[in-house]
Amino acid sequence: MTKLKETPKINLKEIDKIVESRRNKKWGLIPMLQEIQERAGYIPPEVIPRVAYAVGLFPSQVQAVITFYSQLYTHPRGKNIVRVCRGTACHVRGGKTILKLVKQHLGIEEDETTDDMEYTLETVACIGVCALAPNLVVNNNIHGNMNPKKVAAIFGNYKGS
Amino acid sequence: MEAITIVLNGVEVSGYPGTTILELARESGVYIPTLCNDPNLVSIGACRLCIVEDERNGALLASCVTPISPGMIINTNSPRVLEHRKKILKLMLASHPDSCLVCDKGNRCQLRKLAAEMGIGLVEFQRIPQSDTIEEVNPFIERDLSKCIMCGKCIRADQELVVEGAIDYIHRGASVKAATLNDLPLEKSECTFCGVCVAICPTGAIMEKDRAYTGTATTMVTSVCPYCGCGCAITLGVKDGKIIYTRPVPESPVSRGTLCVRGSYGYDFIHSKERLNKPLVKVNGDFQEATWEEALALAAENFKRIKEIYGPDALAVFGSPKCTNEENYLLQRFARGVLGTNNIDNSNRLYCAASLTGLGVTVGYAGTTGSINYLERSQIILVIGANPEISAPAVAYAIKRAVKFNGAKLIIIDPRYTPLSNFAQIHLRSSVGTDVPLLNGLARIIINEKKLDEEFVTRMTDNFNNWSKSLEKYTAVYVEKTTGIPKKDIQTAARLLGEAENTSIVYGNGITQQANGTETVIAIANLAMLTGNAGRRGGIFALQRHNNARGACDMGVVPNFLPGYLGVNDTQNRQKFEGRWNVKLPADNGLTALEMMEAARKGKVKGMFIMGENPVASFPQPKLIKEALTSLEFLVVTDMFPGEAVRLASVVLPATSFAEKEGTFTNFEGRIQSVRKAIIPFGDSRPDSEIIMQLSLAMGSPMLYSSPHQVMEEIEEMVPFYHKVSPKDADTMGLEMGEVDGDTPGTRRFYKGLFPSGFGRFQPVDFTPLQESKNGYNFTLITGSSRYHFGTGAWSQRSSRLRRFSPESFLEINPADAKELGFKDEDKIQIISEQGEISTSAKVSNVLPKGLLYMADSFPQSPVRELFGTVIDPRSKTPALKSCAVRLERITADDQAKGNP
Ligand code: SF4
Ligand code: SF4
Ligand code: SF4
Ligand code: FES
Ligand code: FES
Repeated sequence: MTKLKETPKINLKEIDKIVESRRNKKWGLIPMLQEIQERAGYIPPEVIPRVAYAVGLFPSQVQAVITFYSQLYTHPRGKNIVRVCRGTACHVRGGKTILKLVKQHLGIEEDETTDDMEYTLETVACIGVCALAPNLVVNNNIHGNMNPKKVAAIFGNYKGS
Repeated sequence: MEAITIVLNGVEVSGYPGTTILELARESGVYIPTLCNDPNLVSIGACRLCIVEDERNGALLASCVTPISPGMIINTNSPRVLEHRKKILKLMLASHPDSCLVCDKGNRCQLRKLAAEMGIGLVEFQRIPQSDTIEEVNPFIERDLSKCIMCGKCIRADQELVVEGAIDYIHRGASVKAATLNDLPLEKSECTFCGVCVAICPTGAIMEKDRAYTGTATTMVTSVCPYCGCGCAITLGVKDGKIIYTRPVPESPVSRGTLCVRGSYGYDFIHSKERLNKPLVKVNGDFQEATWEEALALAAENFKRIKEIYGPDALAVFGSPKCTNEENYLLQRFARGVLGTNNIDNSNRLYCAASLTGLGVTVGYAGTTGSINYLERSQIILVIGANPEISAPAVAYAIKRAVKFNGAKLIIIDPRYTPLSNFAQIHLRSSVGTDVPLLNGLARIIINEKKLDEEFVTRMTDNFNNWSKSLEKYTAVYVEKTTGIPKKDIQTAARLLGEAENTSIVYGNGITQQANGTETVIAIANLAMLTGNAGRRGGIFALQRHNNARGACDMGVVPNFLPGYLGVNDTQNRQKFEGRWNVKLPADNGLTALEMMEAARKGKVKGMFIMGENPVASFPQPKLIKEALTSLEFLVVTDMFPGEAVRLASVVLPATSFAEKEGTFTNFEGRIQSVRKAIIPFGDSRPDSEIIMQLSLAMGSPMLYSSPHQVMEEIEEMVPFYHKVSPKDADTMGLEMGEVDGDTPGTRRFYKGLFPSGFGRFQPVDFTPLQESKNGYNFTLITGSSRYHFGTGAWSQRSSRLRRFSPESFLEINPADAKELGFKDEDKIQIISEQGEISTSAKVSNVLPKGLLYMADSFPQSPVRELFGTVIDPRSKTPALKSCAVRLERITADDQAKGNP
């Protein structure tokens, strides 16, 4: 779980509008969640109960849906998403060390976001370019054949928050 | 429907289409192991343990989700099946922690039982240690999800049966587990600690927290929960003469495998150290232990003396809605036949006498007109003056299931916003005491828009025109003004009610304890008849507070009726009983509960017998009641615990709990269910039925019954609507009601929709505003039950887990009011009414509208009743105990130090 010193302000009114527009629509849950995420960047846990009652579900059920889909988030994410591969090929070729180095550079653990909202660190299982292992992805750019130097080249300038 | 025939283990069996292989196997007595299946839950086929082989093609099928189809040749035990089952079970065990060996679920763990059955040793697998205990501070439930096999039963029970929605899956893949919202401990979630998930979990993943309540029971006895009027069946687990747990009963037609926190965790008052265990007699103001013979002789002698000197009406008797039907029946026989007085009443008068009167004059049948099963199948459910989630949880479960799974629409009339409001289509937040104009207004709209059930009204009822004229003044504008509900919401509700095929109306103490309770009940009955929902289709559901409130009244523990509501003034009625008991019975109506107290205070009533009740705690104005009891020459009290009434008694007789006696309770539906003896009576205590018979004997009038069953036989003979509906043998739990539902003459239900007296009668009722608050008493305080306590708290406060979890009273107050007065949570405050004052702490809560306060009445330390006057509902003679005008003051540290707030 991301621990933020300060949760970014979310506009509850705007979210309520989204909820209202899709109230009582049977298949409305996923689109509603997507729309909220588009607006707010994530799905603030405090809106889960209102979403739930609007579509006739329990809050715990909505949470079940959100946590089931890896594309839905209950915490704010950084501007840049870093994914380090921990698939088998990457693992045997030092993926673990790469992950450790990235953590050091960014000063955060897996599934955390830097306080200045610049970076979110995640891991993925095999991204399908095992030939280049070890790999990491920043936003949509794949960086192959990673080594400590290359990690420093990408994140070295980041001074942390 | 054509039956389908299949071959099951070499034998031809058939079932209806849609039947699963597992269901058919169970019907045919073939055992198939299961872990994730439960008859009350939707099957999901998660564990695959129930696989069977179709020998035609070798397919392995999960029998709990596979319907039978023609020609199937099923083998439930083929070598392939056994091999697969073993493999599945071994995999489950492999990820199961070592703690299994010391797990407290013990023999109740299905996983362990199945492993033993299949000859799998517990230690042959290398375990992946993954203990995952969640820190919870509640005293009820503990979760260790490392023992979870993801059968999903807890989640389904939580969502499909009790419909709380506290837990669901979280995450996916290997890290998936059952969790609360935000994965918080249960006490921070929607969980109500009903304990249903604990009972249904096949492993030790969800368990009782307290080690004192785990372990293996040596006997199990099915009985009835002693708390609220729902009457859920419970199984009592007994070990070494103690009840170590209670479990819901899946076959119970009332609860369908559920309980609430009181039923699951509120039974250990039975073993409280405070239990009275010896008869006591007062000598010079102090109690001394006595033998039963001495105590009974003393009581008999004094009752005889008072009767001889002052006449029988100087004696009065108090029955109990917590005691069995048999006990209450014997008690009224004792009062009428032995003492010779009709001065007999029970505290149910305080809670639902308005129902008896109000329904009596309209539908002619003084109680709930349908079963809980009808309720669950209604299209529209109107809940008014009731918070069933607290006062009658099993009814709330049924309502929520109706909304979630049967598409029912819920209308709530309540000033407060409760969790049930989340399920409502429309919530009318009326001002306190304005139910009559609202109900009249709804009826007027339904008539004007011609949405009434004309056929029913013409054929089955009379006095319609008179009544309909009386509604003239309840125009939408007028109703909006008096109730504070927007016109358009009233309209919407009226249309829902008028257009539905069947509607059920549920009401509770919020109605019956108002000063105009009887009028409101009549207005409800009028509305039900108008829409054709009395006696057929939906119905009227009068919630009752205590487990046997209906029963106590049915048994004639009221001053004007013999058993079965036969008026005592009627010679024929009396003759019926005089012949049976061979004694002359008094003909005049006796005194009601409050009249008895008043008469005692004035010295007119001199001797009293109170069975299992503490009127000082359950009546308004405890000071007056105390005065009344003190004024008596002689008072005999039977009880389990020393309450104020016990302290004021001349003779105290220790009574047993529900678990130590046999008999029956009648729940709010009118269902008569068996209470069974699970353990021997504590100390020297005796069941009230024995006490009454022995006292009678000591007074020279023996009652010759050999057992409570024999008493029930007489009740069946004398009370027509108990005929053939009481549970015949103890194992049937009173299930027969399902068979007699609705359509058998002579039962308490309406026969084919006919009113008992032929016609239902519309009765005009007018709105009398509640007394305006004055002299600066600017808040309206309402009282009611609390989830974790019950009644006067005599039992729940002595149940250790309920007490630990909810130790103190609090006053709920709207955030805006709190802000104005500068109150925060837990601030000490003084509540002051014209009658008295009490102190408690504040709890800011947004369920209440401005100006309204709520406080539960089960906390003896803060007796809310001291605030209430004795405004009596003129028709039912019920004291108004639901709302009163108060003001609030802060208690500062200084005040507390001075001890003088
Ligand atoms: S906690 Fe128990 S009931 Fe719930 S999924 Fe796990 S094993 Fe099944
Ligand atoms: S105790 Fe009851 S409310 Fe709580 S999680 Fe279990 S089933 Fe749900
Ligand atoms: S709902 Fe009532 S009868 Fe059922 S367990 Fe709870 S208190 Fe007992
Ligand atoms: S394992 Fe990393 S890309 Fe396949
Ligand atoms: S019992 Fe059938 S799959 Fe679990």
